[in-house]
Amino acid sequence: MSIEIRRVTKQFGDFAALKNIDLTVNTGELVALLGPSGSGKTTLLRIMAGLETPDSGEILFHGENATDRSVRDRHVGFVFQHYALFKHMTVFENVAFGLRVRPRSNRPSNEEIRAKVHSLLQLVQLDRMESNYPSQLSGGQRQRVALARALAVEPKMLLLDEPFGALDAKIRQELRLWLRRLHDELHITSVFVTHDQEEALEVADRIVVMNEGRIEQVGTPEEVYDHPVNPFVYHFLGNVNLFHSRVGEGRVKIGPLEIDAPEHAAAQDTPAVAYVRPHDIEIERHKNGQPAIAALIQHIQSVGPVVRLQLNRQDTGQMIEAELSKERYRELGLKAGEVVFIKPRHWTVYQGEGI
Amino acid sequence: MFAPSGLKIAESVPLNRARTEPAVVRWLLIATALLFLGFFLLTPLIVIFAEALQKGFALYLESFKDPEAWAAIRLTLLTAAIAVPLNLVFGVAAAWAIAKFNFVGKNVLTTLIDLPFAVSPVISGMIFVLLFGMQGWLGPWLQEHEIKIIFAVPGIVLATIFVTFPFVARELIPLMQAQGTEEEEAAIVLGASGWQTFFRITVPNIKWGLLYGVILCNARAMGEFGAVSVVSGHIRGLTNTMPLHVEILYNEYNFVAAFAVASLLALLALVTLAAKRFVEWKSHQPSVGQR
Amino acid sequence: MVLKQKSILPGFGLALGFTLFYLSFIVLIPLSTLFLRTATLSWGQFWEIITAPRALASYRLSLGASLIAALLNVVFGLLVAWVLVRYSFPGKRIVDGLVDLPFALPTAVGGIALTTIYSGKGWIGQYLEPLGIKVAYAPLGVVVALTFIGLPFVVRTVQPVLEDFHPEFEEAATTLGANRLQIFLRVIFPTLMPALLTGFAMAFARALGEYGSVVFISGNMPMRTEITPLLIMTKLEQFDYAGATALAVVMLAVSFLLLLAINLLQWWSRRRLAAL
Repeated sequence: MSIEIRRVTKQFGDFAALKNIDLTVNTGELVALLGPSGSGKTTLLRIMAGLETPDSGEILFHGENATDRSVRDRHVGFVFQHYALFKHMTVFENVAFGLRVRPRSNRPSNEEIRAKVHSLLQLVQLDRMESNYPSQLSGGQRQRVALARALAVEPKMLLLDEPFGALDAKIRQELRLWLRRLHDELHITSVFVTHDQEEALEVADRIVVMNEGRIEQVGTPEEVYDHPVNPFVYHFLGNVNLFHSRVGEGRVKIGPLEIDAPEHAAAQDTPAVAYVRPHDIEIERHKNGQPAIAALIQHIQSVGPVVRLQLNRQDTGQMIEAELSKERYRELGLKAGEVVFIKPRHWTVYQGEGI
Repeated sequence: MFAPSGLKIAESVPLNRARTEPAVVRWLLIATALLFLGFFLLTPLIVIFAEALQKGFALYLESFKDPEAWAAIRLTLLTAAIAVPLNLVFGVAAAWAIAKFNFVGKNVLTTLIDLPFAVSPVISGMIFVLLFGMQGWLGPWLQEHEIKIIFAVPGIVLATIFVTFPFVARELIPLMQAQGTEEEEAAIVLGASGWQTFFRITVPNIKWGLLYGVILCNARAMGEFGAVSVVSGHIRGLTNTMPLHVEILYNEYNFVAAFAVASLLALLALVTLAAKRFVEWKSHQPSVGQR
Repeated sequence: MVLKQKSILPGFGLALGFTLFYLSFIVLIPLSTLFLRTATLSWGQFWEIITAPRALASYRLSLGASLIAALLNVVFGLLVAWVLVRYSFPGKRIVDGLVDLPFALPTAVGGIALTTIYSGKGWIGQYLEPLGIKVAYAPLGVVVALTFIGLPFVVRTVQPVLEDFHPEFEEAATTLGANRLQIFLRVIFPTLMPALLTGFAMAFARALGEYGSVVFISGNMPMRTEITPLLIMTKLEQFDYAGATALAVVMLAVSFLLLLAINLLQWWSRRRLAAL
């Protein structure tokens, strides 16, 4: 089932949580709502579920207006940030709840409920925990019970609020991949909220980047990472180095370097900032006759496959972060305290002072 | 008289040297505190039973053969049986509205609910006399229709409801506020109706707080003296509750009988304290097996 | 007055409607009759009633005895809370449970028990009387009764604060060279201050309105051992509703001021604790 959000606005007192949001989630997609806290992502998710009512705008399910449809009639599966498991019920009863509260006319029989709950608990690999209480489970197990409980009512879409927010780093990683596999198996339209860009980049088909109640960019992980439409998205999706300068006739001067910015051809000596990701900083031991920025290596962090360098620009004193592969690092034989020459491989230039 | 489980010194509270006093100071403080509590709590409790039994157990039991004592016990039970359920329903409704929703005037409402606690018992009874008494606003009309509220059972019930008004609500409001609304929202998303959500999710979560409020409410309802004294008219066998009956017997120098009835109320107080403890202990247990 | 944000939980209208209805009929309307009744008095009459010598004497006793009782409870309440939280001794849990007895015991029962103990022939009274100390049927008896009923307040407000008191503060003070008394006075006591004040205000407020336990022990002599609630009762029994109402309004005003003070104190202590 597809979800369409049209011109949705939501205000909490003086705080504008959502400002004129338009968004379409296609059938079978796994979409991440990514943004810092207060960006409105959770509000948007709760509006989709019907837990909040928009002040204005419409929500369409499968092309049908569902704005005034009650939560019970929306048939959504919702996984709460802190799971909201019923503390006084066993795992089995938690998962069975949605089936047991149905009106008698279409309530499944006890055997049917039993079979259904068992198959779901098998799906989330918790079939041996059915008579445990939530307090006896680990965080990851609780998360999976919450998911099984949401799936028990055969929802047309699955909405997850910070699904991995309360878990340890290691379990987070595992559950992420597991959720992705589960989605590929069930193909249920899913939307999840996160503030962790890695999580969104790794799991989602498409990412909706949100900030201060607005959508900044919608796109595949590659699109938003490689072609951010504005400085905010650039910042939010990973570490970045800023080179403050001025743009004129499509060219930007950074120290001894000059880089192209054809999209700003019309600008005349306007303040601008070039954004360069750490792994897009090229490092050489020698100038090789080409213009490059001299920088002093201050610190090297070489644990893991990626080596991170902290560099100090010799001309301005600005700190620069660079990343390179272990092979390249060994090839160059870098040591802290040495002076190297750097230049950007890829960049994006935005007019203004940057953020 | 002390339970053997209490017989361990400086074990349950691990205090290092930086956090405790020399043994002499410790025992001096403990002794002073116990002496104070002995004088002010234990002696009154013991004297009630000692006075009740001073002429022997037979005479003690004899006191309960008095039909007026039975009438007082019945009226006390009746009053509590009306006041407690009403305040229970009110407490749940008020806590549901205040803890689960946001609305303007919420703080004012919460303060107003606590109001009866700030009113002297005598005034609590008096306002009903002003309203329903012979010289009261509705007095003439009530007399015309031969409805008796003051110096009759309805007045006693009303005054009791007033003084026990906040007990359940003030237990439930903070509890339900702390629990938030996520579990209820989850139930609704899963298709539960309002009443299903309330009885299957909310009630199991608040049952110990509910019971706690009911225990305190009941103790006060059965023990209230001042407010009930104003509205009762002290008609023996008709409008005397147990505390009022104690007063009458005491003022007639019938000490054994007075303390015999008082001993029942003291037992009620001890049962209340034990039940309160039990609920406190129970509600701090992990939710495992709380079905 | 009521404006709510939309919520998906049902039952708001029903719950709030019933709450307001019940609150109005049980509390607000009956209480308001008190003020409307007073309005039938002229200012002069009102002033005359509330400043009559017998009324003034009753205020003196009510305020004075309540104040002494509340202060006694601050001192001993702090001691009891300290002993219960910090030390172990046989029977501690029973003692802890017994602290709430004055809440649970009907006041009339407490009243006759205390009177019996402190009367001239009573368990304690017989030793005090020869020393010239008269408790029952004297102002001192009022103090005893009010101390009894206010006892749990200070203990129960101080106890949780003391339990949550983080050992690191004391350990830090010790490493800085403070001795136990200094630590108590400079580190622990200031933290307990809001709770102590709150407990004091609650015990004081409760004592001011108390009736049941005092009527038995005080002897009820006008001008000497008559507390204000008892004076109101006497006026009611003489069908002097105007007089009773005027005094009740004075008492209510004081109670509401105290309620306000307690709320402010609790707000203050929450803020102070949050700041830690």
